Amino acid sequence: MDYIRDYSLVFIFFVLPIIFVIQPLFLKKINDFENQMDLSSLKRKKRLLYRQIKELEMEFDIGNINQKDLETSRKELKVEVSEVITKINANKI
Amino acid sequence: MNSNKKFTIMIAGVITVVFFWIGWVSSNPKDEKAMASFISVEKLLNDKMKKRTKLGGLVKDGSIIISETNYLDCSFVLKEGAAELKVKYDRSRPDLFKDGAEVIITGQYLDGTFYADELQTKCASRYEGDLRDESSYKLTEIET
Amino acid sequence: MTPIAGAVALNLAFGFSILSIICLFIFTLNEDKRLFLTGQRLSLGISFFVFLSTFILWYQLIISNFDIDYVARYTSIETPFIYKISALWAGQSGSLLFWLFILSIFATITVLQNQSKHHGLMPWVIISLSIIQLFFLILTNFVTNPFMPTDADFVVANGNGLNPLLQNVTMAIHPPTLYLGYVGFSVPFAFAISALMNRDTSTLWIQSIRRWTLVAWLFLSSGIILGGWWAYQELGWGGYWAWDPVENASFMPWLTATAFLHSIIIQEKKDMLRIWNMALIILTFTLCIFGTFLTRSGVMSSVHSFTASSLGPIFLIFVFLILIISFSLMYLRRSELRSEKRMESFTSRESGFLFNNLVFVVMCFAVFWGTLFPVISETVRGTKITVGPPFFNQINVPIGLILLALTGVGPLLAWRNTSKQSLIKNFTFPILSGLMAAIIFMFIGFKGSVVISFSLSVFVLATISTEFKRGISARTKKFNESIFKALFAMVSKNRSRYGGYIVHVGIVFMFVGFTGHAFDKEKEFSLTKGQSDHVAGYEFTLLKLSETERPNHYAWISDIRVTDNKGEYVTNLYPEKRIYFHKNPDVNRRQPHSELDIYSTLNKDIYSIFSAVDNENGVAFIKIMVNPLVRWVWIGGYILVIGTMIALWPRKD
Repeated sequence: MDYIRDYSLVFIFFVLPIIFVIQPLFLKKINDFENQMDLSSLKRKKRLLYRQIKELEMEFDIGNINQKDLETSRKELKVEVSEVITKINANKI
Repeated sequence: MNSNKKFTIMIAGVITVVFFWIGWVSSNPKDEKAMASFISVEKLLNDKMKKRTKLGGLVKDGSIIISETNYLDCSFVLKEGAAELKVKYDRSRPDLFKDGAEVIITGQYLDGTFYADELQTKCASRYEGDLRDESSYKLTEIET
Repeated sequence: MTPIAGAVALNLAFGFSILSIICLFIFTLNEDKRLFLTGQRLSLGISFFVFLSTFILWYQLIISNFDIDYVARYTSIETPFIYKISALWAGQSGSLLFWLFILSIFATITVLQNQSKHHGLMPWVIISLSIIQLFFLILTNFVTNPFMPTDADFVVANGNGLNPLLQNVTMAIHPPTLYLGYVGFSVPFAFAISALMNRDTSTLWIQSIRRWTLVAWLFLSSGIILGGWWAYQELGWGGYWAWDPVENASFMPWLTATAFLHSIIIQEKKDMLRIWNMALIILTFTLCIFGTFLTRSGVMSSVHSFTASSLGPIFLIFVFLILIISFSLMYLRRSELRSEKRMESFTSRESGFLFNNLVFVVMCFAVFWGTLFPVISETVRGTKITVGPPFFNQINVPIGLILLALTGVGPLLAWRNTSKQSLIKNFTFPILSGLMAAIIFMFIGFKGSVVISFSLSVFVLATISTEFKRGISARTKKFNESIFKALFAMVSKNRSRYGGYIVHVGIVFMFVGFTGHAFDKEKEFSLTKGQSDHVAGYEFTLLKLSETERPNHYAWISDIRVTDNKGEYVTNLYPEKRIYFHKNPDVNRRQPHSELDIYSTLNKDIYSIFSAVDNENGVAFIKIMVNPLVRWVWIGGYILVIGTMIALWPRKD
């Protein structure tokens, strides 16, 4: 009885992890990987950029930057946002 | 001068000031208790160093004498290897101070006696892990 | 059977770490995604085996299996349960396994969180984390193995047990908190190395690690404060910071980490200070490893570690490797790291942050210098010269005051350049407040750095309140909100910024507490029943001296009545003199201990120590310390934690 318990423990704690680790090596080569990853990073980046624009407006309200700087930086960020949106749409296709 | 150069100069300036500041304090500490030379008892006795020194060693068994008139005042003999030194200390003694304790004292040597104003014992309670007396542990023999 | 399983699990983790590094490295060369997946899973496997190994050791500690050396050294059958758990980090080999355990938790989280992002960065992130795990696996497998069997040819009936003096909650929490901080910086470091390897100098890696950095910083700060609190409450020398090498070892990474935390704001917003940020995170992580090394290897002539161990050289080698490899990488990528953006003016927020970095690094160097002074002086002059608190204080107080001033100045500077009118508009109120405070304090009779410290504190608090006011009025004007709604919305929408300001308030309070140290008074005297003595305007009368026997110690309890200089009753203090193991036939095993009693108010702490007792004559030897403003340090600490939590509060998106 005892050795059934021992062998199952050995199986769970030692054999299974090894199987878990080498399993991917038996798949066919993956190509789609890259695109999948990028979509969520792009979406994240879009959110971050929007947040940065909002912060910029707040800094202006408080008086930490002047109008000219606000306009310049905001324009730069908006350009970045549209680039990201283009990439997102391209990815979705 | 372009602004990058300005900033590099500022940084270099700050670093120079800091080096001088640290160097100056290292050579002329304001408080005499800031520094002490950590030397061996043997070297202290040979060189009869007058500067503030720090010594390490063991409390010689049976050498602790507590003053009758002032409980805080005590003297003992510090033993490091073969060298022995008479020490006087007049502050409250740490709990672990006793015969054979490992101590570090700081103070001044004058005419055959070391006047210590700091005394530390191997502090069991300060840091876990290092504090345990690792050299021995309770081994109980089982009768067979 | 299971102890062997624990050791085997560690072996497997070691093997997996090597495989993971090789696998992912090959992936970076041939782009075969299957290798990435396997490498990633190998990394999870390392963590799995480390968890297994740790839980097995914990189990052995709980069941008190004294066949394992570690269990016999640090626990006994009588040790309370919670301290059997905390025994995991009581000794050297266990604490290294514990470091590895926490690192594995963080590595697992990092891998799982990033399965669908940062595809470019992740391979080298995982490689870096695996290399760090590998280092600790080498230590725990081959140098100091927690599963070593007890070296005895008879059965060990009971272990050494944990010294009752160590059995208090703070002692249990302080090391893990610090470790969570030390280990926490591995992740930002791994991302930094990855960014360097990938020639990726965008702000992507910064955005990924911001929260990690803040969490690690929170743990490191809390760990340091807890250490000070414990020293003050338990050790009986009346202070909370002694500039001890081990304390300094935790403070140095804190300094560079704080600089890093601030500096990455600039990189995120303005894409500047890239080289600084790389250097700062590398330094921080290195100092964390160095800190672990200083604490665990016994290399410094600290009273707390008389014996050097073989661990020292190995850690040192690791530290040098990290520095050499990381900085070489930085050098190789220097052209990509250099930013095209330029600093435009000395009175800009960017330059304020630059100066901030500089001051933090300078203070870190100063502490490093003082800590290593004995080693340096011995190498250079032949005599080891030790330095004590007066040395550190003399060097660091001015630098600290400059930092305090910067805390106030920074937020008031605008981006790129602050116009003259803005300078006047923003700085007038705070500077006036600071000056007025200075005049008042000098009038009261304070001098020198005390006046500067208090006045700067007022200055900084004035600037922080100005910031809050500006933010609130901007909102009330724009959205017509009530003040409270505006405050709540403002903080809620800018958690980092306003959380940060609250942390600064905490720091100011701590500075106020530190300044109180200049007014500490102490006196030692003896009292018999009914006798009194005076210290700092208070009268201490011994009312009663009693004795009692408790389960694991014997105690003499003094009842001391405290009255102030007007004769008003203040409090009673009950410091105790205890003897632990009092029934032990071996007199040398009996351990005396002074149990302090502290009366604490915002104004001052009255700290009483029962140094010794003369039983026959009924004499109690008492030491009294009157320490002003200490409470502000702890209050500041709480505020710091609250501020950080606000900054960390997750957003819905």
